[in-house]
Amino acid sequence: MTLLGATLKGIFRDRVFRGLLMVLVVFAAIPAVSTLSMRQVVSLCLTLCLSLSSLVLLVLALFLGGTVLWRDLDRRYCHALLSLPLSRERYLWERYAGIALFLGLSALVLGGMTWLVTSFVAAGYPPGRPILWTVVFGCIALDLLKCLLLVAFAFCFSAFSTSFFLPIFGTIAIYLVGGASQGVHDYLRSSAATDISLAVRRLADSLYYLLPNFSLFDIKLYAIYGLPLQTSQLLLSGGYFLVYTLLLLGLSGWIFARRQIP
Amino acid sequence: MMRRLGIFAFFGVLLTLYVQLLGPVRQVMEQRPFVEKLGLIPHPQALKLLFPDFRALLGATILGRVTLYFGGLVEHFDDPRLLVKAVDYPAMSRAIHTAVKLDPYNMDAYYFGQAVLVWDVGKYRLANELLEYGMRYRNWDWQLPFFVGFNKAYFLGDLEGAAKMYMRAGELSGAAMFKTLAGRYLQEVGKTEMAIGYLETQLAGARIASVKKVLRLRLTAFKALRQIEEAVDGYRRRYGEWPLGLEDLTARGMLAEIPEDPYGGRFYLTEDHRVRTTSKFSLTLGAGKKKKVDVTPEETLRDD
Repeated sequence: MTLLGATLKGIFRDRVFRGLLMVLVVFAAIPAVSTLSMRQVVSLCLTLCLSLSSLVLLVLALFLGGTVLWRDLDRRYCHALLSLPLSRERYLWERYAGIALFLGLSALVLGGMTWLVTSFVAAGYPPGRPILWTVVFGCIALDLLKCLLLVAFAFCFSAFSTSFFLPIFGTIAIYLVGGASQGVHDYLRSSAATDISLAVRRLADSLYYLLPNFSLFDIKLYAIYGLPLQTSQLLLSGGYFLVYTLLLLGLSGWIFARRQIP
Repeated sequence: MMRRLGIFAFFGVLLTLYVQLLGPVRQVMEQRPFVEKLGLIPHPQALKLLFPDFRALLGATILGRVTLYFGGLVEHFDDPRLLVKAVDYPAMSRAIHTAVKLDPYNMDAYYFGQAVLVWDVGKYRLANELLEYGMRYRNWDWQLPFFVGFNKAYFLGDLEGAAKMYMRAGELSGAAMFKTLAGRYLQEVGKTEMAIGYLETQLAGARIASVKKVLRLRLTAFKALRQIEEAVDGYRRRYGEWPLGLEDLTARGMLAEIPEDPYGGRFYLTEDHRVRTTSKFSLTLGAGKKKKVDVTPEETLRDD
């Protein structure tokens, strides 16, 4: 069995998927909560479904991404695995691919639940605007890409960290900073920020280009209110994800290959 | 055996204490003022930075709390004087403004904002600012220009502005009705009829029990106004002169009695023979509350 398959099997063995299925019970409460809206029952239903999907994917990304490598090192699985004809880079990439496959499967299940619950609600409360399902599924797909990018960050931190604190809390910090970077950038460009010194602006600009920009992956308002979305935006987000993730995984592999494993 | 009994006794005591605490806890929570119930709402910009993925959810949650809070006061709706004392309008206004900063597409916020700011506290310009902010985002929605147009014509006397808004609502909805309304607004005829039509449109789309109850209250007030206006016109036709006061209508049999203003105000006749009410269909004025209610948000709405 390949390491990718073993990673996937290990995640299932840890009953993570069963945990995900239990979370899906929350979806059953969404139609009832949505009826609290005065004028936009279906929009509220989509808001709740997409936010829940986003939260579940984020939690899975943080804990799977932040603990897989650390656990291998802590339980000394690495020694056994790396004694096989397998490079350290390959080991890292296959572990990443296993997690990516599981997150993809989870996104499929969450997307299916979103479709099921929203269709049920829309049958009872016809929406004022048509639901653009391609944008809704695109929104979940972009959430998945954002989480995969976070897993790449967690791997990068795990590549040199000796505990799981840095991979988990470092990734949470990246999530917060990446989500805020566009807002900070926009603020610094606005007339309200004329008093801020040039040095601070330059530092903020450098960080803006260096750190990931997760706003690129957030199209929830487009999905909730059926706003048309250009395909080029989706393609740009996909390209950004691909380049940034490959850079991070390349860097992680390079660090991990040089690391001393006790 | 003793150990097991000890464990049972331990959990038994804790469960009894927990049940005893539930009553006081519920009482304290119910008595908390609105601001505390809602909690301190951080600045929308801070919320956006901290929870970038959950802006729409946060906006909906804040509005959900406001709706539940307002719905929880449903027992006061039969007596506007009690309602105006019970409701914390400034906190509701701030919450609505925060919600639209988080999710500028949320129709519930504009609908509820229109209901609260215009009808309950008489802040027509602030309500129109909110609605016009929404129009920049919900550029397909005919209801927002419809609300703005109504506020402009009925409350602010800006008939030209109202006609423009009704034309916009007509373009967006494709309904000829709005264009007819725009024409009628320019002529300033049948204002009460307009208000009744507006309220009936609102009521037809209302789903929440508390909102329906408020709209029905408003509709009752306008129907009472129309009844008096019809009696005034009938008086003029029959006697060839205008009544000097509403008491003339009852004295000469045009009305059995002057209808009551459900907002707690009193109907009267102006010098130019129009029927008005001291409440101005506002709960704060009708309940005799002289103190100004400041519902202005901390900052004006602007595009991000």
